[in-house]
Amino acid sequence: MALSAGELRIEVVGREIVGRPVPGRARRSYGPYLRGVPALVLMSVVLVPAGLTVRAAFHTPEGYGLGNFVVLGDHAALHAVLNSLIWVAVALVLVVLGFAVALASRRTPGLWRVLSPFLVFPFAVAVLVSGAAFRIIFDPTPERGTVTAIATALTGDSPVWLGPGLFWLVQVSAFAWTWLGYAASLFRAGLGAIPDDLGRAVEAENVRGWRRLLAVEVPLLRTITGVVTLTLVVAAVRLFDLVLIVVPGPMQDDADVLALNWWHTTNASPDDAGPPAALALVLFAIVAVVAVVGVRGLRRPWAMPDRGGLDRAATAIPDPAPVPAQRRRGLAIAVPMGLLWAFPALVLVATALHSPLAAGLRGWWGRAGIGFDSFGAASNAGLWRALLTTALIAATATMLVLAVGVITAHLLAWGGLPTWLGRAAMTAFVILAVTPVQMYAGPLRQVFTDTGLGGSPLSLAVVHAAAGLPFAVLLLRAAFAAVPPSLIAEAVHGQAGQGWAIARVSRACRPALVAVAVLEFVLVWNDFIVGFLINGAGSPLSLVLWGEARQFATSAGPVAAAAVVSSVVPVVLLLATWPTVVRGLTVGTAP
Amino acid sequence: MPDRRTFLTGLAGAGVAASLAGCAGSFGVGRTVTVAVTWSGAELNAFRKVLRGLETRHYQAVPIPYGDDIDTALGSSRSRRPDVVMLPQPGLVAKNRDSLAPLPDGIWRSPEAQYDKVWESLLFHDGQPYGVPFKITHKSVVWYRKSVFGKHGLTPPTKWTEWLELNRRLVRCGETPLALGAADGWMLTDFFENVLVGCSPGSYKALTDRNRPRLADDPMVGKALRLLGRMWAEPDALAGGVNGSLVQQFTDAVVEVFGHGRAAMVVAPDFAEVEVLRFAADPGDIRVFPFPAVDGDDQDSVPASAGRPLIVGGDVAVLSADPTEDARDLVSRLAGPSAPLPWIRKAGGFLAAHRDTPTGDYSNELRKLNCDITKPPGEIQFDLSDQLGPIGGRTGLWRVLQDFLVRVGGQGSGGVPHEVDEAMKQLRELEG
Repeated sequence: MALSAGELRIEVVGREIVGRPVPGRARRSYGPYLRGVPALVLMSVVLVPAGLTVRAAFHTPEGYGLGNFVVLGDHAALHAVLNSLIWVAVALVLVVLGFAVALASRRTPGLWRVLSPFLVFPFAVAVLVSGAAFRIIFDPTPERGTVTAIATALTGDSPVWLGPGLFWLVQVSAFAWTWLGYAASLFRAGLGAIPDDLGRAVEAENVRGWRRLLAVEVPLLRTITGVVTLTLVVAAVRLFDLVLIVVPGPMQDDADVLALNWWHTTNASPDDAGPPAALALVLFAIVAVVAVVGVRGLRRPWAMPDRGGLDRAATAIPDPAPVPAQRRRGLAIAVPMGLLWAFPALVLVATALHSPLAAGLRGWWGRAGIGFDSFGAASNAGLWRALLTTALIAATATMLVLAVGVITAHLLAWGGLPTWLGRAAMTAFVILAVTPVQMYAGPLRQVFTDTGLGGSPLSLAVVHAAAGLPFAVLLLRAAFAAVPPSLIAEAVHGQAGQGWAIARVSRACRPALVAVAVLEFVLVWNDFIVGFLINGAGSPLSLVLWGEARQFATSAGPVAAAAVVSSVVPVVLLLATWPTVVRGLTVGTAP
Repeated sequence: MPDRRTFLTGLAGAGVAASLAGCAGSFGVGRTVTVAVTWSGAELNAFRKVLRGLETRHYQAVPIPYGDDIDTALGSSRSRRPDVVMLPQPGLVAKNRDSLAPLPDGIWRSPEAQYDKVWESLLFHDGQPYGVPFKITHKSVVWYRKSVFGKHGLTPPTKWTEWLELNRRLVRCGETPLALGAADGWMLTDFFENVLVGCSPGSYKALTDRNRPRLADDPMVGKALRLLGRMWAEPDALAGGVNGSLVQQFTDAVVEVFGHGRAAMVVAPDFAEVEVLRFAADPGDIRVFPFPAVDGDDQDSVPASAGRPLIVGGDVAVLSADPTEDARDLVSRLAGPSAPLPWIRKAGGFLAAHRDTPTGDYSNELRKLNCDITKPPGEIQFDLSDQLGPIGGRTGLWRVLQDFLVRVGGQGSGGVPHEVDEAMKQLRELEG
């Protein structure tokens, strides 16, 4: 066949087919593997030391074996395990409570809008800060402690709230204060996303009360329940700084939890890495089991592209406008409860506004010594420089997590990895997301001490980024996978580059990106344990707080001042972005 | 190691110090001499003033707070090691001699010229001094409110039996005699050590001298516990009872006595003066008496020869190996008799180790304690629990004494012997 146009002549020449036909095969591309490299490099900061810990756990002077696990038979270790299990139970109760609050707020229009900021802001506050607030409220002297003062005024006497047994009340209050709002918010978002017509259909069939709850809400919110349970249980098992700040020295053995017991074991035998490594492995095993079980509930929606999920979550059906009577009822509940939730923060602020002397002698309600002296004392302890360094560390870690997280999440959602590899990587990230810092703290600290990198903010930021990456990847992947494939069809068919696809997906998933960035920033800002265990100093801000808190009650002024100053940034950031963060967190989990 | 600075021994420190050392280097103008210290808060500020008075126009002296982990200062890598370290336990000097340099000539002319002779064995090696005492801590002190004693016509006790009687009379008058900062374990070990020295200075000395001391094997430890237990077991003797004591830290106990006025006395070292002055409702009400001589009680007798206990601690300035000329110069200046004057004047709660430091600026109470150290009632003893290693710390003696307090406190003296047996058993298990 030939075509000719003027001088040009184009000819198509056919050729005889020889040999049998072979199945077509796509060009093998190393692109996906290359895009996995940043995550692999960053995660090696955690993976290599964790591997060394596993090795140390089984390594005894006589060779490899289970000898180090004898440490578990130790009375103190058993006690710590038991206490950690009690904490897990506390976490589960909180999940139920959070659900109840969400349900109640759904049925009482007008309640949530007033209440949610009060419930949510403690989530942005460091554990060290909430522990300090509750220790101030429950101070054992009637001159300083709010609860002791009230009890003494009413009955003439008061229990010693921080004393044996009762310290649990103080710890659990602080824990609940931090987490209840988080749980309620997520459940609330889930309830809001239940399609309206479903509710009407159920109502038409006259299914009400408990039956409706068990038939509709509970099963539909399974995935969100999974996320909430996972977060809370992991927080309960990792509990460390709350015990340190709340419980006075003599009761710390009673209050011992796994993470703390690990730390004491490390201190008791600094040269023998075996027993602490064995403890870390047990801690890890518990958390990993919880995670894997919890994630079974998440797998379906998190792993499947869900065409409608994104839009539906983004435009959840708004609550019906409350009628005035309902509005009044909502306010009647919301205002007292909001005030109750704001109270610890008010105590901190009021205490901080007293001079160190006045705050050491009298409670926050005293009229003497009001002024900014406590802020001055905290600033003498290096508060402002610590604030700057912390901001630097948190910002660096956040940017690193975002950059690596977006590339990795896109790779796992759309990147064309072999199925088995993608699945394996996902499982690895789930387990890594809950890996306790004790798994890698020992070897990392050794390296940092030997190389003298321990005090450098950059090295701390890299460790934080590595610790935060798995959660970021899980969240982003869920969001990316929920993007309609049509959005990036060109990239899927190879007509556009992966960079273009990543940019497009990221734009579509802005809430998830915001959620990752905000949570990572707040987490790093508030960190105590990672910095404390790894570079020995703690992240600079917690370090100042912790240093001031050594003689707790008589330093209440500077402690409260440091707590207030360190909480401003995360609280403002979280409150400003919370609706977006919730949307980001629940993307892909919408029913 | 047990000390107020070590209530959380552990990992913290190396990193802080490293980062701060970095800051000191980069923020300083020109040459700096870094000084590692354990002090924080008011004491750190006071030491800053001391350094400001000593630095020259050639170099700046920068304190680096190491908190509980001052021993890591000597362990850190050479480039990050501070030039000068203020060691809170003189016993650490001998242990770390490899990373130290001998002091420049002329600081310490002859062993007994400027300092008490107890320092010699701790700080000299081959006739060379490796550290110079800066601050001395008097740990055999009872702080009390004069007004409470005056109101009931009581005078400070000089003997243990008088003290027990005084406590009973205070209880009968509706006053609480003692505030105990049991949340800080070192408050209890200090109390116990004083009773032990009072019972048997020989036993105490033997325990401090031995390489691996065993408390459980010494019957005098049991006797001291019985005496102490019967004082704590007296009903209503402790402010806040046992639970209240357990949640009180050192400064809370000071506030309990001088701020809230709920107790008459607190056993606390001389440096408590900083806090006492801060929180005292009436500064004119502050008095001290030395820890009474232990003469037994109605059930345990003690030979009269023992005398009044005097336990001290101290902070010693040492030079890191390969010191710079500036560091040597700073240590020479720190060793001068007038060096600590800014601290004494501005903050109080400081006793100078140097014999020639002018005493004119001490408060009345600290002047009494200073006399006690310069003209001791008997032999001066160094703090025991500092020298016991882990057994003297959080999981050892602190825990044993806290448990003992829980079981005997306010229960009456009947159960004390049994609880002492329990405590000794606990010690035996710990000491293996």
